[in-house]
Amino acid sequence: MREYVANVVQAATSIFDGLSVTFSHFFREPYTIQYPDRMPIPVQDTLPYRYRGFLDVDLEICTGCLACQRACPIDCILIETRKDKETKSMLIETFDIDLAKCMYCGLCTEPCPTGSIHHTREFEGADFSLESMVRRFIKEPVTAYKPKKKGEDDPVVAPILERGKRYIAEFADPKDDAPAAAGKGG
Amino acid sequence: MSVEIEFTDDHGSAGGFATEEMTLNMGPQHPSTHGVLRFVVKADGEVMRRAVPDVGYLHRSIEKIAEKVGWHGFMPYTDRVDYVAAMTCNQAWAMAAESLGGVEVPRRAEYCRVIAAELGRICSHLLAFGAMGMDIGAFTPFTHAIREREMINDLLEELCGARLTFNYLRIGGVAWDLPPDYAHKVLRFLDRFIPLVDEFDDLLSNNKIYIERLADVAVISPEMAIAYNLVGPNLRASGVDYDLRRDRPYSVYPDFDFTVPVGKGTWGSVGDCWERYIVRLHEMRESAKIVRQALEGLPGGPVIAKVRRNFKPPAGEVHIRVETPRGDQSWYVVSDGSERPYRVHIRTGSFSAMSIIESLSNGLMIADLVALIASLDVVAPEVDR
Repeated sequence: MREYVANVVQAATSIFDGLSVTFSHFFREPYTIQYPDRMPIPVQDTLPYRYRGFLDVDLEICTGCLACQRACPIDCILIETRKDKETKSMLIETFDIDLAKCMYCGLCTEPCPTGSIHHTREFEGADFSLESMVRRFIKEPVTAYKPKKKGEDDPVVAPILERGKRYIAEFADPKDDAPAAAGKGG
Repeated sequence: MSVEIEFTDDHGSAGGFATEEMTLNMGPQHPSTHGVLRFVVKADGEVMRRAVPDVGYLHRSIEKIAEKVGWHGFMPYTDRVDYVAAMTCNQAWAMAAESLGGVEVPRRAEYCRVIAAELGRICSHLLAFGAMGMDIGAFTPFTHAIREREMINDLLEELCGARLTFNYLRIGGVAWDLPPDYAHKVLRFLDRFIPLVDEFDDLLSNNKIYIERLADVAVISPEMAIAYNLVGPNLRASGVDYDLRRDRPYSVYPDFDFTVPVGKGTWGSVGDCWERYIVRLHEMRESAKIVRQALEGLPGGPVIAKVRRNFKPPAGEVHIRVETPRGDQSWYVVSDGSERPYRVHIRTGSFSAMSIIESLSNGLMIADLVALIASLDVVAPEVDR
């Protein structure tokens, strides 16, 4: 009988132990973010630099090397190239990415020599049909980019190439300043 | 696939009324089965005579896909083996390919792997903790657990760009180095998080009603646990002190000092549902310790070894075992020297945890089956792959 009463008392008091934790949250900072209509800044700006959103291609710096197409494990990238007989340059005729098929693994962005194919921080892409999820980047054939030995001097292409180079620098290349910054954090 | 149950018992009669045992389908869509699982339950009133798990609803033939997509391309698929703790599956695949190809992994990469894997382990155990409470009927702990899990997801998102399917590891190392100021952010999170684990004790673990609900329910003896091939926290809750990270060390785990929590039978007997629950809660603290030590001892250097893009390991076979949050996950990989693996086989902890349910179910209440599944921390996609 005594044990029974003790159990009842313990059960009742341990409920209040739990409730005190819940109650203390009245006085803590709330964690909830009112998405999407009451965000102080666009949600894309809150995402980290490495965020893997929709794929985008900068055709100005695409070399047409097909490295991304070969790296993709599910073949969601389709590129068609053709050699132009008159100018002897390479023409990219098709560059389609099926975003409905894409699993956002990021394997295609790693072998890209110029950082042309890259992940954006866009992720809101709901649509009514799978067809509309196929991004066709090329309307009419464009000439493939050829890396220049002296560095890029075209004022239009240079900033795009710089963005691409910064993007690939984030990958495997260990940055000199990064280990020091990460190691001394504690 | 259909499951046939043999009705061995006689149809008894009580008080002159003819009674018979009822066959119930629990699942495939059931809120407490953590995914698509089905149990065929043969019940006598509220007491079960037998519960047969019917697995296979989430089979995605991941092992077969490996034979098609090649060594590098299979890495994102390993995220889907166990999506609650994808990092450890990544690690198993990377280790298998490296051991076949003889790739030397840089030390800094190993540390990055351990940090990511242990954060993932905390993440997974938080979900197990929350789901356990929710299955029993306490909803509040789930929201607390998910709140903290979001914080870890944010950290991992910053590290690798995704919140669930990380694809962070590569054959030969990791894809990215730690972002700037990352150690500071992780340590700040851990400083906030560890007091909250003690708070979870107040919230749920020490609640008398919760203890009464779980203590001495579905007791698994150490002998039975070994016989049924239980692994990971489920095995340790039964009193078997075995952790791959300590007993068969891989990666850089020998560098770290941590204890392996083992079930002690605090409220009931060793190996009951409450022990399986509390072992996971303790493991979160230990994982936090490992992350701290890894961040302190982080060596410099490259994070990825030079691996050829068309990676072709020489012919051979390898068996890799990795301690995932759901226990010992073993990968058997055969290479024939080509650019694709010849055969991949994965044996996961959830699968062996499913097999023990049938023999435990005799005499268990139907409501206790829910507690048993939750305490075993079964993740349905890991059962089927």
